[in-house]
Amino acid sequence: MVASIVSTGLAIGCIYALIGITYNVMFSASRVFSFTAGTLGMLGGVLGSLFIARLGMPVAVGFLLALAGGVLLGIVTEIVAVRPVLKSLDQHLYVLSTLALALMVQQFTAIEWGTEARPFPRLFDIARGGFDQQFWLPMLACAGVIVGLELLYRHTLIGRAFLAIAEDTYAARALGLPERSLRMASYALAGAIGALAGFAGGEMLLAFFGNGPMLTFYGFVPVALGGMGNNRGAVVAGLLLGLFQQTANFLVGGIFASVAVFTVFIIVLLARPEGLAGAAVQRRV
Amino acid sequence: MSLTRRQALKSAGAVIAASSLAKPAIAAKDPIPVGYLPALTGPSSSTGVGINRGIQLAVQEINAAGGIDGRQLELITRDTQSDPTKAVNGAAELTRGQKVSVVFGPVNSGESLAVVPLLARTNTPQIHPCWVDALTDPQKYPMCFRNAPTNQQIGSAANRYVMEVLKRKKVAVISDTTGYGTASVNAYAPMLKAKGAEVVYQGNVDAANPDLKPELLRMQSAGAEAIMPWSVNAGFLSRIINTRGQMGWDVPIVGQTTLGSGQTKDLLEKPEYWAKVYPNNFRPVCYAPGGKLSDRTSAFLDRLKSAKIDMGDTLLWWIALGYDSPRMIGEAMKNVGTEPDAIVGYLNKLKGFPGVYGDISFAADKHDGYPDDEVVMVEANSLKDGAFNLAPGYSA
Repeated sequence: MVASIVSTGLAIGCIYALIGITYNVMFSASRVFSFTAGTLGMLGGVLGSLFIARLGMPVAVGFLLALAGGVLLGIVTEIVAVRPVLKSLDQHLYVLSTLALALMVQQFTAIEWGTEARPFPRLFDIARGGFDQQFWLPMLACAGVIVGLELLYRHTLIGRAFLAIAEDTYAARALGLPERSLRMASYALAGAIGALAGFAGGEMLLAFFGNGPMLTFYGFVPVALGGMGNNRGAVVAGLLLGLFQQTANFLVGGIFASVAVFTVFIIVLLARPEGLAGAAVQRRV
Repeated sequence: MSLTRRQALKSAGAVIAASSLAKPAIAAKDPIPVGYLPALTGPSSSTGVGINRGIQLAVQEINAAGGIDGRQLELITRDTQSDPTKAVNGAAELTRGQKVSVVFGPVNSGESLAVVPLLARTNTPQIHPCWVDALTDPQKYPMCFRNAPTNQQIGSAANRYVMEVLKRKKVAVISDTTGYGTASVNAYAPMLKAKGAEVVYQGNVDAANPDLKPELLRMQSAGAEAIMPWSVNAGFLSRIINTRGQMGWDVPIVGQTTLGSGQTKDLLEKPEYWAKVYPNNFRPVCYAPGGKLSDRTSAFLDRLKSAKIDMGDTLLWWIALGYDSPRMIGEAMKNVGTEPDAIVGYLNKLKGFPGVYGDISFAADKHDGYPDDEVVMVEANSLKDGAFNLAPGYSA
């Protein structure tokens, strides 16, 4: 039982954490919570299955094309659903615009791909075992993204520009940073991370159009618990969420497992509204 | 030439008389509008797509044979897109705008729950194949008939198979959290207990849950001797089958028809995991021991093949059900015309309409037409040409 809780819990937790990072990367560049994050995850699984299982492409090619699909949706999100409403951010119109885009993509997927779950291909031709690739692939993807983002943000100029935009958009623009291009690049990066989450978790979640809302929902929990825009917080909270959810599955089971997850979520937010790893925002008056 | 008022009136009268005389002759050749509310797209469309193939073939055959007393049947289709709201809009348009004589559908229970009361208010005869028990009621909906089994019949057949054929007394009943799933578990678990079974596990699980091992371990530790899943979600059902296989747990799975669908099969980790899985099906469209279909069904299969109707991605019973429905409507119209009350009067006395899917009978106080003993269980891994072998224990 413990092995099952750890392997499945950590794997699903890594998928949630990656979706949480997707939210955060988009949020940092635009102060917008784009509800296309879960849709990107769903699309990663569907495109992976489409390119590899249905069209018979090599795994590497299918992987890159799935990520490219995520990048494309990230850019479209920025252009269609974020840019037009940034001027009216106070009205939180982005909730509607990003949700509408997510629903459109989901419906389009349902029509073109079908409404039944479809198999996601085995990425490596190795025998199924206790600690199967369906568990370690999401963990590997999550570790890769954490390391990659650290390297990007700490050791590259463009990474520092991302951080500057996230810290203070107006000051960054005053320094001559191309805010719009950087925002679009952030959305493209978030698209790739979201698609990677769905691709790496494809064997576990299957290629199913209905994964979008589930990932949007559960992927938001690490963001809220870990602190808005805080990637490390999202990873820790995502892993804890996965482990707690799987433990609840074993201990109480059925629909009560979801109830347990959201009970804890609400209690934590009541106790620490800024999230477990977030800092309380001080506003100048 | 001058025209007097009397001559003008005479001419006008002659024209009116001529046109009113000609009208019945034209009306007699007008097509008969039949409303049709399938879900051809959307999340629950696989049933509708299968049924649609049978419907289209039947209407083509009826019209090619001269129609109903010289009038062609005209299917007026409104795709519900698996959405109850769109189904209601379609039903309203069919009855008020198109003035159809009768409606077939919707083909999914969720949509029918919304449409049946609406059609009852418009006094439109309706035939549907949806399983939810409350979808027929001769008192509340006197013009609504069901040419398919009820949920009670489906559950009874599965329960009977588990208890009387497999001789299993400790049963686990599981569903997803949809309305259909929870309603089925809530209905079937008490039926099992009433028959003397011990329901050792009863649960509703989110269909998106990727790991069902905790649930199956709970069933196993409770001593379950059979698993009965009620869901139309192929992903959920395949996870149950895969987990049973991974655990090496030799226990039969008996339940919903989707257990035997191609989508479920595609999601299995190993083909052998499909053994000892027994979904619901219907005797007239199943292979009897010895691998033969009934003569009526064999002839139908030949007709499907000659019409080049694809059966690889659907189930024979869906096509057969679709095929029977317009034939039954046409039979009623051939006998009593197209007036709603006359059609309902005819259906109220229908006895043993010979369908490929099953023989349908109604009575004034019983609008559920499918016979109990035709609902059976089959071997999931025997699927061939959309049909299955009867599960072990059934006689020919």
